[in-house]
Amino acid sequence: MKKNLSMYLVGFFLFILSVSLFNVPEGIAAAKQTLTAANAKSAPAGIDDQVWSTAKGIEVPFEGKEQFAGKKASVITKAVYTGDSIFFLFQWADPTLSVTKEAWKYDGLKWSHLQGNEDRISLLFEINRINNFATKGCAVTCHVPQGAPSAKDGKFGTSSEAEKGDLWHWKAARSDPAGFADDTWLTKTDLKNSGRKNDNGKGGDKSNMTDDKAKPKYMLAPGKELAKNNILLASHAVEISNYSVFKAGDIITYRMPNMPEGSRADIKAVSRWVNGQWTVLLSRKLDTGNDDDVAFNPKKSYNFAMALFDDSGDENSYDSETISLEFSR
Amino acid sequence: MAATDQKSKKNISGLLIESLGIERVVANLLEFEIRTDAISWHRFFGALNIVFLVLLFLSGSVMAFYYSPIPGTAYDSVDFALFNLPFGGIIKGVHHYSWNILLVMMGLHLMRGFVAGAYKPPRQLVWISGVIILTVVPMFIITGDLLPWDQKGYWSTRVRLSIIHSIPFIGDFTVRFIQGGPLTGIVALTRFYVLHTLFLPGLLLLAVGVHLHLIRYRGLSEPLFGNEKTICRISFFPDFLNRWLILFLIVTIVLGLVSHYWTAPLGDPADPTDSTYIPKPEWWVLFLNQLVAIFKGPFSIMGTVVIPGGLFGLLAALPFLDRSAERDPGRRIIVMVIAAVIVSGMTGLSLMGYIEHFVSAGK
Repeated sequence: MKKNLSMYLVGFFLFILSVSLFNVPEGIAAAKQTLTAANAKSAPAGIDDQVWSTAKGIEVPFEGKEQFAGKKASVITKAVYTGDSIFFLFQWADPTLSVTKEAWKYDGLKWSHLQGNEDRISLLFEINRINNFATKGCAVTCHVPQGAPSAKDGKFGTSSEAEKGDLWHWKAARSDPAGFADDTWLTKTDLKNSGRKNDNGKGGDKSNMTDDKAKPKYMLAPGKELAKNNILLASHAVEISNYSVFKAGDIITYRMPNMPEGSRADIKAVSRWVNGQWTVLLSRKLDTGNDDDVAFNPKKSYNFAMALFDDSGDENSYDSETISLEFSR
Repeated sequence: MAATDQKSKKNISGLLIESLGIERVVANLLEFEIRTDAISWHRFFGALNIVFLVLLFLSGSVMAFYYSPIPGTAYDSVDFALFNLPFGGIIKGVHHYSWNILLVMMGLHLMRGFVAGAYKPPRQLVWISGVIILTVVPMFIITGDLLPWDQKGYWSTRVRLSIIHSIPFIGDFTVRFIQGGPLTGIVALTRFYVLHTLFLPGLLLLAVGVHLHLIRYRGLSEPLFGNEKTICRISFFPDFLNRWLILFLIVTIVLGLVSHYWTAPLGDPADPTDSTYIPKPEWWVLFLNQLVAIFKGPFSIMGTVVIPGGLFGLLAALPFLDRSAERDPGRRIIVMVIAAVIVSGMTGLSLMGYIEHFVSAGK
């Protein structure tokens, strides 16, 4: 009787094992990408630092929307961190260097704006948890309609004041020449109030335009030099007193980057566009101590999503899914 | 002077014991002796299990001070305790690693008891009470999994509830009873919290109390080899308790260091609308998960109830199925072969589950 029992049991388990061998695994949904920030002893010297060749990167896919609907893009993303700072390196293909941002051009008789925008990349982190951001990314941030009063300051924000996002916005024409990415944050938005706020301090850009909007108001100050990509920084500008010095074909920056100060100057940027590829390095303190910034704790993981703008503005962008940021020990 | 102090202390403690009416309990405790090999190099799983249970109770109690059992705030409260509270990461880590190791230790404890024939008369009830503890501990894990309200816990719970729901006749009622309705929401979280922190601890304390009482009443199983009469005995209080406390301290320090270095995991906040998320099964349910995957449709009850229930029934009924007095494993070939087949089956299924969910899925 005991022998029979043992034989039945042996047979039964062999049956289960054999059946499971033919069991086809059910489909597994595409897992969320994880970017692991490598632990570096010292800060990378720049975008050519040896650390970037050893840091493991991920290729983040982007889906185009609005004017880019149906198109795809991808960005190689890497990250390293030191005892007090974090560094992100982004590389993506872009056949055209776009830094025009409606610059002024003189044709010998009158001034007019050049057609063209700028290349940009933006990152959104959570300062306080944004409901379902971890799974749906920027899609859960509220986008107000085009004509709404709040739309002029940026058309998106969160759905409650408790939800806060940290928006890093690198702009090839308006922030990069100053060596920074614009540091802003998101809070509740509605039709009247914009949810997009600037971090404490100064920054952004200054419009170079006369009161009648007919021509530029500022030019390069004597003894100063144009910044990268021939962009005129606001701090290097002087009011134009004599327009006769300009000749046909002269171009002057329309949106002059300000040198950021305070919490708005937290994100430093270094970039290079060569052979149809952007390489952008952003760096920031892990914890700036500012309420308008996400504080990174290397023991924790963070979600972020990115948007890519190719010579485009508004919502004409390529968007990524949410990515998880982890820190290697 | 010192003698006077000692006398006055004795008087105070004596007065306290007398006032509480526990003279007999204290006398019994002081007289109680236990075998020296109750904690030794070849018998320590039971003592270690108590260490982990105590650590789970202590760490869980601290975590409860900061936990908010509401879906909108549960995740944030756990996140706060884990990353912002001083030593919060260590406390959560000790809780996390303790239950994982406890499961392993309980398995080894069971295996040792099985090989040593500890279920043989007169210790049948000791064995059965142990099996009951073995069924209660996973319930802690299942109810605790939902509490952080993260993706993994939420969707693992949904999967488990759907498995329970598939049980004929009682499935629907059981799920509604457990989660307080058709949805896994605030009522479900409250019920899981109450089960995890009130009902189950009470049940476990009772089961462990009965287990220890039966061990005291029936004695520890004799060594397989050698003469039991040569084993010395020591007083439970303070000698044995001191040994246990040393074990407790070592385990606590090691787990504290591990928790400091490897932070306990906390996934993304639960998103009940994200049905694309497929939770990976925990290591200890891989074989059960594989059973569910094998038996589908009308046969699903085999994987969800019949086989797991049958295995537990077999385990509980072991003292009555194998009634011979023989304890030498070399002379209990049939029982050992059956056990080896079952363990091999569970290991094989777990390996398949691991390959399916952690190796193939990662490619």
